[in-house]
Amino acid sequence: MSHIHIEVKDLTFAYEKDRKILDGVTFTAREQDAIGIIGANGAGKSTLLKILVGLLLSFEGTVRVEEIPLEKRTLPRIREKIGYVFQDADSQLFSTSVYEDIAFGPRNYGLPEEEVDRRVRLALKKVSLEGFGKKPIHRLSGGEKKLVSIAAILSMTPDILLMDEPSAALDPRNRRNLIRVLNEFDHLKILTSHDLDFIWDTCSRVILLGEGRILYDGNPEGILRDKKTLEESGLELPLSLTPREERTPSGGQ
Amino acid sequence: MSRITGAIREMQTIEESASRDQWVNRIHPLVKFCLTILYLICVISCGRYDLPRVLGLALYPFLMFELSGLPFGEALYRLRIVLPLVCIVGIFNPLLDRRPGAEILGFTLTMGLLSMLTLMIKGILTVLSSYLLVASTPVDDLCAAMRMIHIPRMIVVEFLLIWRYISLFMSEAEKTEEAYLLRAPGQKGIAMKNWGPLLGSMLLRSMDRASEVYEAMCLRGFTGDFPAGRIRKAGRRDLVFFVSFAAGILLLRIFPVLVLVGSLFAG
Repeated sequence: MSHIHIEVKDLTFAYEKDRKILDGVTFTAREQDAIGIIGANGAGKSTLLKILVGLLLSFEGTVRVEEIPLEKRTLPRIREKIGYVFQDADSQLFSTSVYEDIAFGPRNYGLPEEEVDRRVRLALKKVSLEGFGKKPIHRLSGGEKKLVSIAAILSMTPDILLMDEPSAALDPRNRRNLIRVLNEFDHLKILTSHDLDFIWDTCSRVILLGEGRILYDGNPEGILRDKKTLEESGLELPLSLTPREERTPSGGQ
Repeated sequence: MSRITGAIREMQTIEESASRDQWVNRIHPLVKFCLTILYLICVISCGRYDLPRVLGLALYPFLMFELSGLPFGEALYRLRIVLPLVCIVGIFNPLLDRRPGAEILGFTLTMGLLSMLTLMIKGILTVLSSYLLVASTPVDDLCAAMRMIHIPRMIVVEFLLIWRYISLFMSEAEKTEEAYLLRAPGQKGIAMKNWGPLLGSMLLRSMDRASEVYEAMCLRGFTGDFPAGRIRKAGRRDLVFFVSFAAGILLLRIFPVLVLVGSLFAG
């Protein structure tokens, strides 16, 4: 069995006192896992990812990334291993051109310019955006921005990929492209999403969060076909798993 | 297109100009930065009545506009808000100082008028030369150049973040204005009573986004330093450019070239 990449034990977090967002969350993630974290709005999905990448450090419990305990002094080492794709690509892309933005990470890690160039080209190829290098960021569509933000992370060759709502606001073509990119990434990846069809297409394991706790942790079939549990958690069956006759919303024509 | 949208487009155009593949853009950013600083010092250090010397120094930006292919008219248009402000400086000097100064073509210029013109032109030249630098050098390269000469990291990062923050603030302002106007049909602009809450929410939203951008930078290894590898080493062409232009600027500063040329023609 592959070794443990992330180990979370009794993780508790609150933005305000007495209002816990995460309450005793425990799980481990292994090298080849593709984990989808699902849950209603406010369930703590994005918060969990932000903790894993060290953006929120005032938590209780322990988080270890490849055996390294997550704390302020270990952040640089941990961030070399984890790539985090923001929900809003506009927050992640800040350089003038696509090339400059993708090269930002590798350059910061002191790689020689030839290697930076090789990585930028490879990352653009992976997301099928060859030839986009010179394009100014503000001339990209929403879907292209999302793919560039992923390329920017892939160029850092992370061991772990974290993505917050990756499929939000993507058209079908870009969505298919993203699914392909994710399925080709053969390391640990953890995604949060409300898009259960997307989770079904990309994840081999699903964690359902509700009221700050893990309500389910197992294979996608076990939860994505469980209409009752999903509805209790404010979610609905993925469209692709819903029988055709049930697809019309109640009260619809 | 609203004024905010127009301002955002103009800023994006400046950034695009900075990334063009022109020979001035390819000059080492440190060379351009040092030349601009030298030029600013030379312009600012001119005396308040030293109009001929200041006019002589105007050769540098005009030459750079010509060489870089940046349209001069467009630059004046982009700086249309700053330039009038610069021109206001010294506007009362002609009223306060009426001593006779110089005589040009039979007209006597008062010392006040002379100092006003000198101040105005000095202001315009400093703004134009700064614009030239920003429009021909990507901001990240500029920051890397500043770090190369050991300008404190805090100042450089502050400069970079303010540059990024301006765009973020404007894009939040654009969204807020659009959302407001869509729900206030027939209204011309934003009503005075709504400025307070709108400005507050714009500030908060832009600060949220700015902190996200900063987080995104930190997550990709940004520590406030700019890796030396991002800009190439200065070469012979950069050196020639620097030496010739620095010499030119210093000559224009030391000698009142226009007066000398004028006296040649006057015999």
